[in-house]
Amino acid sequence: MSDPARLPPAEITQLSLGYMRLTDSAPLILAKEEGLFERYGLDVTLHREVSWANMRDKLVVGDLDAAQLLAPLPMTTTFGAGGMRGNLITGLSLGLNGNAITLSNSLWDSLDLHYPGRLPDALQVVRTLGRSLKEKGANPLTFATVHAFSMHTFLLRLWLEAGGIDPDADVRVIVLPPEQMCDSLARGIIDGFCVGEPWSTVAVEQGIGTVAASGFQVWNNAPEKVLAVTEHWHDNYPATHLRLRLAAMAACKLLTQPEQRIRIAKIMSQRHYLDLPEKILLPSLTGDYRFSKNDDPVRVPEFHVFWKYQAGFPWRSHAQWIVQQTSSLLGKAISEDDTRALVQQSYRTGLYREAARCLGEVSPSHDYKEENRHGSPWEFESGITLGADVMIGNPQYSGRG
Amino acid sequence: MKTAPPIAPIRVMLVDDHASRAQLVEENLKAAGFEVLSVISSAAGLLYQIEQHRPDVVLIDLQSPDRDVLESLAIVNRHSPTAMVMFAQEDDPDYIRQAVASGVSTYLMEGINPDKVKPVIDVAMAQFKTFQGLREELNSARTQLEDRTVIEKAKGLLMLQKRISENEAHQMLTKLAMNNNQRLRDVAQTVIATLSSFEIRK
Repeated sequence: MSDPARLPPAEITQLSLGYMRLTDSAPLILAKEEGLFERYGLDVTLHREVSWANMRDKLVVGDLDAAQLLAPLPMTTTFGAGGMRGNLITGLSLGLNGNAITLSNSLWDSLDLHYPGRLPDALQVVRTLGRSLKEKGANPLTFATVHAFSMHTFLLRLWLEAGGIDPDADVRVIVLPPEQMCDSLARGIIDGFCVGEPWSTVAVEQGIGTVAASGFQVWNNAPEKVLAVTEHWHDNYPATHLRLRLAAMAACKLLTQPEQRIRIAKIMSQRHYLDLPEKILLPSLTGDYRFSKNDDPVRVPEFHVFWKYQAGFPWRSHAQWIVQQTSSLLGKAISEDDTRALVQQSYRTGLYREAARCLGEVSPSHDYKEENRHGSPWEFESGITLGADVMIGNPQYSGRG
Repeated sequence: MKTAPPIAPIRVMLVDDHASRAQLVEENLKAAGFEVLSVISSAAGLLYQIEQHRPDVVLIDLQSPDRDVLESLAIVNRHSPTAMVMFAQEDDPDYIRQAVASGVSTYLMEGINPDKVKPVIDVAMAQFKTFQGLREELNSARTQLEDRTVIEKAKGLLMLQKRISENEAHQMLTKLAMNNNQRLRDVAQTVIATLSSFEIRK
């Protein structure tokens, strides 16, 4: 741990930080509760926001200094693909994975698949679903995600495509607030959803849904949330930004300890944070994850990865994939040059390296890594082990920048 | 800001969980000649309602979690673009300025004030039409990005060749654009073409 006193002085110390009612807000909430922001001389107030649109807009206009954002939003906001435009950047990813795809019980039962006491075979599930859609040709199914430009949308599309289902033609994909997912699933308005935890666990606990795939199974160690600020804010307050990243990184590292994960579940369950029962928050945090109400929990140790495998590094190969997915979602071509410019503008790998140096931690010396290539942890370079990066159904993507 | 009365009434949908306020606004909208299609308190059924009624404008409180839903309709469901007017709790001029600059029909003001609703909708509609027009002509977002890339490149060349700061380079481009009555991007392209050929000759 570096000595905060030797860091350049913070330009401003009172900060407003936005987060959402999601389990992977853990690093920011822990940093606050553990006094990590204070250790770096920052007086941070956390604000719970109700929608990603709201969070993004408040960040762009300066109501918030920094925010936990969906990994695609720095690019899509810079690009101006929806809502307010503004140059958003990130120098720190706030974790890998954290999502799940959940089906209504009636849809799940119609597939007649059983995985007692073990992980569901996510590929088998979606292939079975694909076949049944073709055979029955019934009413098109409706799936929901929480934002158009989210990893939830992209992972859902990846999963559907792996089963031979065209996400644009064969099913409907809509957006719903996470809080309304379970109610809509129970009432048959939607047939499935891809959301961040704890909302799949809520569906399982209520006995209205079955988890068909963890996010990890769709894309091993996919990007998820980032700590975003505006470029303008960063240019004005680089030292404050560095301190903020250091505090968040310290929290991410603490969350490698199982006891800290149990502790943060208790903290986050409080009314002024997520206001949800502890037992709803624990499964994904501990990795003892229940896929359906009647089955025993299954070990999914990498449900949330906050620190391991260089989880904090804002890989440009992740950003590049996201821009390509955004382009295909919008049906607009984005040239290679534009993609590269957008990725370099939004994902600031140098900022991560700067913070890692302060902490005496190693960081990757390249901005891009191969994706969809490794089925198990692998050595990126000396001293740097990265997690598996396989995508379900093995689509054509290698991530070479 | 007044616009000419619309030929067909503008069809409005109101999303507001504040029942008495919603009622006031609805009355006010009707009195102002708007057609109020429906008033709902949350996004439960919002998508369905929008697809059924195809409103011209959706009025929604800024603090509503349903904003992501509405936005996705405007972004992805190209078949049902909908102007959105949003209301914040506090009146922040900066916020409004930014919202307007972003080119989206986003407006923010203190609650949904019945008296202020009509002019706001008029402006939002006009703005939405402009934005839609832009989008149809060319993906405006993409153009912005391309513009920026071209302008950055031109600035870089100017800085290098004239040994001036980024600010000065920017000012030089802006001045050129104003003097020639050209868009910044066009001027930047001319600068790139000129300076690059200069470099080759050298």
